[in-house]
Amino acid sequence: MTETITIKDAKAIIENQIEELAKRNREPEWMTRIRYKALKAFEKAPHRDPVISEEELLQFIAKPEVEGVPEHIESLDDLPPEMKALLDRLGISEVEQKYIAGLAVQTDTGVIYNEFLKEWAKKGLIVLPTEEAVRRYPDLVREHFLRLFRVDESKLTAYHTAVWNGGIFLYVKEGLKVPFPLHLFFLIQESALAQAPHIIIIAEKNTEFHLIEGCTAPILLKHSLHLDMTEAYFHENAKGQLTVLQNWPEYVHTRPMTRAKIGKGARFINTTVTLGSGKSNIGDPRYWVDENGYVELNGILLGQKDFYVDLGGRMYLQGKGASGINASKAVIMDESTVITRGIIQAEAEKTKGHISCDALLLSDKATMETYPGLISKVDDAQLSHEAAIGKIREEELFYLMSRGLDEEKATQLIVKGFLEPMLRDIPMEFLVEIRKIIELAVSGGM
Amino acid sequence: MLKKRPIYVTHGGELMLKVENLHVEVENREILRGVDLEIKPGEFHVVMGPNGSGKSTLALTIAGHPKYRVTGGRILFNGENINELSPDERAKQGILLAFQVPPEVEGVKIIEFLQQVLVELKGIDPVEAYDLIVKKAEELWFREEDLHRYVNVGFSGGERKRLELLQAVLVEPKLLILDEPDSGVDVDSLSVISRKIEELHKKGTAILLITHYGRILEHIDNQDIKTHVMKDGRIVKTGGGELIEKIDKEGFAEIFEEVGE
Repeated sequence: MTETITIKDAKAIIENQIEELAKRNREPEWMTRIRYKALKAFEKAPHRDPVISEEELLQFIAKPEVEGVPEHIESLDDLPPEMKALLDRLGISEVEQKYIAGLAVQTDTGVIYNEFLKEWAKKGLIVLPTEEAVRRYPDLVREHFLRLFRVDESKLTAYHTAVWNGGIFLYVKEGLKVPFPLHLFFLIQESALAQAPHIIIIAEKNTEFHLIEGCTAPILLKHSLHLDMTEAYFHENAKGQLTVLQNWPEYVHTRPMTRAKIGKGARFINTTVTLGSGKSNIGDPRYWVDENGYVELNGILLGQKDFYVDLGGRMYLQGKGASGINASKAVIMDESTVITRGIIQAEAEKTKGHISCDALLLSDKATMETYPGLISKVDDAQLSHEAAIGKIREEELFYLMSRGLDEEKATQLIVKGFLEPMLRDIPMEFLVEIRKIIELAVSGGM
Repeated sequence: MLKKRPIYVTHGGELMLKVENLHVEVENREILRGVDLEIKPGEFHVVMGPNGSGKSTLALTIAGHPKYRVTGGRILFNGENINELSPDERAKQGILLAFQVPPEVEGVKIIEFLQQVLVELKGIDPVEAYDLIVKKAEELWFREEDLHRYVNVGFSGGERKRLELLQAVLVEPKLLILDEPDSGVDVDSLSVISRKIEELHKKGTAILLITHYGRILEHIDNQDIKTHVMKDGRIVKTGGGELIEKIDKEGFAEIFEEVGE
């Protein structure tokens, strides 16, 4: 039996954690004040999660770590054998395996301090753990921290804000074009704290960058709830890509909170590849798009086991000529459920928006629902949506099989092909892994 | 690792394909009503007949389409009953069907598809396969960059049929079944397809060709050809190449009259 945790208990626990974080991070007072403000909001803020009840949330706050996950992982040999076997099957390098195991990040923050990035730092590229950015660039962080969210929107926003830890601060100086994708992991494995990384992206005028976050292989998480928050600011003509790769263990609930302000003529391509079989994933990113700005939200999803996924995405086209695309492709297997409910709201003339949702159902027990929302407050906006939910066509399967591919290989090929057009911006090294993961998932080997 | 292995077994003058009193149902409707057909290695057979006579059903049943249910009779390939084999197992035995309307396979690049086919059917490793594919593709008018398009997606009739022939040329099956390789094809494509069929035949591939017109056979020696005429799910007449000319000129009516159908 688990004992009952009251709101009061939870608040006391959070307060302790705030004190601990403030001390550990040698945090300026204004940041600690934000945490306390969030703590205060936590009690009254609404809780409307369709999967995690308020009681469960309080339980989680009292005890964020999952039982059974090895406490001290000092080498790859300490990983659970089935995970080690999977990493080997995926052919993932030992260096990357360490990140996945949470080894490299905690002990070796060097990943973001390497020589290569030092050179770029001179040109005006700042990449830092968010805690460190708070200390080193207080004005810059303060100006952008929690400007796109309100602490009291929900219990989850309040809780995240109170105990946020980890995350990345990315700043691209005006005119700077970063020609290579920045690949970052940021796992914090301190069991006593919730996993709540805070990501801030600031792209000044006329900049270009591509940030890749996470990794394709399954990650050994010690927490069953992952609450990350991303705030992105794109100034005039900034062009940026954020690619999020995730593969959650089956006991993990994720609640990504992403919001972005897209300035005049700026472009933001936000792609999320979800490969795992988590417990649930509910996200409702929001984007405010100024004159001639463009936002693209791409969701690629492999739903396995009893994964429950609810993807929203709201785009407010606020400037003349602003446009947005919300596109998803989902392969839905086993008993998983996928719901998509993107909304595009046209608030200025000559704006364009499109929602598309494609799903391939591989199991009779899987469920797919889609609810596109188009709202126009002006006369000459062009808004459209399309959705296609279907199974693998018998003719296609027979065609491939008649070429000597057995049913499993033919199905793998069709599934990979279905997702392929949306993976065009993913660098090759990840693509190779993504394809392998899809193959394994189709054969039921994940 | 995949090992190279011989997939095809030769059986001298013996029968390769033997279709015995074959009855086939599609969605509970009987389409084939007792087909008998024998093909020896390297032979050239043509099947003609009006629409709906069961020609495509025969082709798809031999290739193992799951929708075509054998309710009577059997199909022997090199002496083995293949009724219960899956389509890929039949392909591995050396049967290849060039589709009348090959489907689009979204997101799958031709080159990757063909590489995998060669791995599966011939045990050729993908790197080696690449060069072979590019070379053979050229002979069927596909440039290297065309091979990075998705399989059949947005293809014209001629392109689709040429891609089917490319697969046949690469695989060099024991038995190649061609379901109307000449329908919906431009004149130039028709000529290259016809020449490739001849080439495969000369190399020893047995051909079972379904067509409405003799034109596709312009490169094939008439003496070599065995012709079968189908009506209502049966082969009602079998003859040589001269039958094709007769049908081209007079249609099916007279033949059907002769055989009392």
